[in-house]
Amino acid sequence: MTELALSSEDLRKVYFSKGAPPTEALAGVALEVRRGERVALLGRNGAGKTTFLKIASTLLRPTSGRIQVFGYDVDRTPEKARPYIAVVPQEGKPFFHLSPREQVYTYLRARGLTRETARARTEEALEKMGLLECANRLSVTLSGGQRQRAMVATVIATEAPLLFLDEPTIGMDPFARRAVWESLRTLTRRGSTILLTTHYLDEAEALSDRLYIIERGRVLVSGTAEDLKRSVGGTVKVLLPGASSMIESFRSFGTCVDDGDALTVIVTPERLGELMDLAVRSKLLATVGPVTLEEAFLRVVGRSIDED
Amino acid sequence: MRTEGFASSTRAFRGLGAFLWTEVLVQAHEELAMAASMLVQSVLLVFVYILAPALLGIAFVGAIIYSMFTMGNRVLNEAAYIRIDHKANDLYLAGPMSPESYFLGIATGILVVYVAPVIVLGALAAFVVHFTWAQGLLLLGLAATVWVFSASVGYVFSTFFRDNRAIWAYSSLFFNIFGVLPPVFYPFRLWPAALAPVALLMPPSAAAALAQASFGFTELSSGEVLLATAGLLAETVFFLLFAIYWARRTVREK
Ligand SMILES: Nc1ncnc2c1ncn2[C@@H]1O[C@H](COP(=O)(O)OP(=O)(O)OP(=O)(O)O)[C@@H](O)[C@H]1O
Ligand SMILES: [Mg+2]
Repeated sequence: MTELALSSEDLRKVYFSKGAPPTEALAGVALEVRRGERVALLGRNGAGKTTFLKIASTLLRPTSGRIQVFGYDVDRTPEKARPYIAVVPQEGKPFFHLSPREQVYTYLRARGLTRETARARTEEALEKMGLLECANRLSVTLSGGQRQRAMVATVIATEAPLLFLDEPTIGMDPFARRAVWESLRTLTRRGSTILLTTHYLDEAEALSDRLYIIERGRVLVSGTAEDLKRSVGGTVKVLLPGASSMIESFRSFGTCVDDGDALTVIVTPERLGELMDLAVRSKLLATVGPVTLEEAFLRVVGRSIDED
Repeated sequence: MRTEGFASSTRAFRGLGAFLWTEVLVQAHEELAMAASMLVQSVLLVFVYILAPALLGIAFVGAIIYSMFTMGNRVLNEAAYIRIDHKANDLYLAGPMSPESYFLGIATGILVVYVAPVIVLGALAAFVVHFTWAQGLLLLGLAATVWVFSASVGYVFSTFFRDNRAIWAYSSLFFNIFGVLPPVFYPFRLWPAALAPVALLMPPSAAAALAQASFGFTELSSGEVLLATAGLLAETVFFLLFAIYWARRTVREK
């Protein structure tokens, strides 16, 4: 059997809706996820992330192109792929009149897990998601973040070979988000594969082995977070408050981003000393830090928007 | 590769038991809705009791059939609500559970919970109408058939909506037009004779006409019995099969 958990080639999706021009949500996406990998799909609102996840998880038909899950053609034989997958849908909610414990347990049973396995997995997932205190309360009484935790608990408890998570940590506090990261790492250690979307770039960096940035239905770049950060021309950023007017003097060091007040310069470590000299001579305060994925994302997507 | 749970797609109703139980748990919290499900029937029974007590037997039979018919409305609302507001279809259908089980789980979950007041209605009816076992069984069969029909239609309808707010008007229109206007609650012969075949081809009034005839409330010609029986069975089987086909087909959006 193939080593790829998921692969797509030239995947396209055009939405036709009444009274509106057709929307090209995917414009030829090629993407691969190897078994045991955690891959993040990043992109602006409307970039096509959910569309891709829905097609890959057999819930939406593509307009054209090929997509396979564990070697099964998702478009031709979706029923072959379904036993291997589980999905946290974007904006999904647990049943309001079930408790998180009932929600997770009944879901596992509906997927055919035995009573014993379902019971053990339910407790494990509730514990990991910090839901034990409210495990027996109806979900209608839970907070937004607790409901989202219940959704994630439901799906991670399946330990399905391939999990799709569409913005799984939305609305969660930093502790809960880290609990999700830890659970997803455990799942891949046990052999599962994960494809997720997120708008939290620290999450993408902390969690994913590789990431894809998509924009207007196309893959802009893919690689590790490190690759991506390097691609913006440096790994160090220098923040210079009040230096907007001096942008021309700093251009030669690397990419400059002017937010109207402070100037951010992205440089390689080799040229950092030289830049600092200039800053000191110009009597500027300078804060030095590593380039984050968020900055790389803004650069890469921003450049693509400018080009269009 | 390892999958736990249902690994193959050979069993059509895989997951049905667990999902049915899920729906029962979800529905059973709505005590008020269970009581309210009897509203229209109870009001009509009270009116008949006051205005035409001689017709109370017919009205009881009608109330039982109407109750089973409006379960389809609940299937419609529930299926649309959990799909649109909860994304339950994404959660359940992108997995090993079958689409048939998803549809039938919603339909039977609603039946299990909402049949309780109908049983009460049946018990009350037994005081008003004296029926034999055979008549009782026929009524049960007719009620069950009407439920299969309406649950199937309800599920198919539910897939056409993208927004919950649009549903209420359409569904109450549909279920009241077909459940109250034709002779379900009143004697079949009070319906315009020229339109008799129309009433006999609409499942709720066909079932009511057959029940009325079996209790001796109404006379039906053998041709009419045949038309009502054949129509009821054919439409029910057709919509059940269609709903199963449709449930499979609508797993994936276009
Ligand atoms: N059912 C639909 N009918 C018409 N257009 C749609 C439909 N669903 C999505 N689109 C459009 O397709 C494009 C991609 O949408 P998609 O939901 O995949 O974006 P996304 O990357 O998940 O965005 P977000 O980060 O906001 O969740 C958008 O332009 C969106 O408006
Ligand atoms: Mg999305």
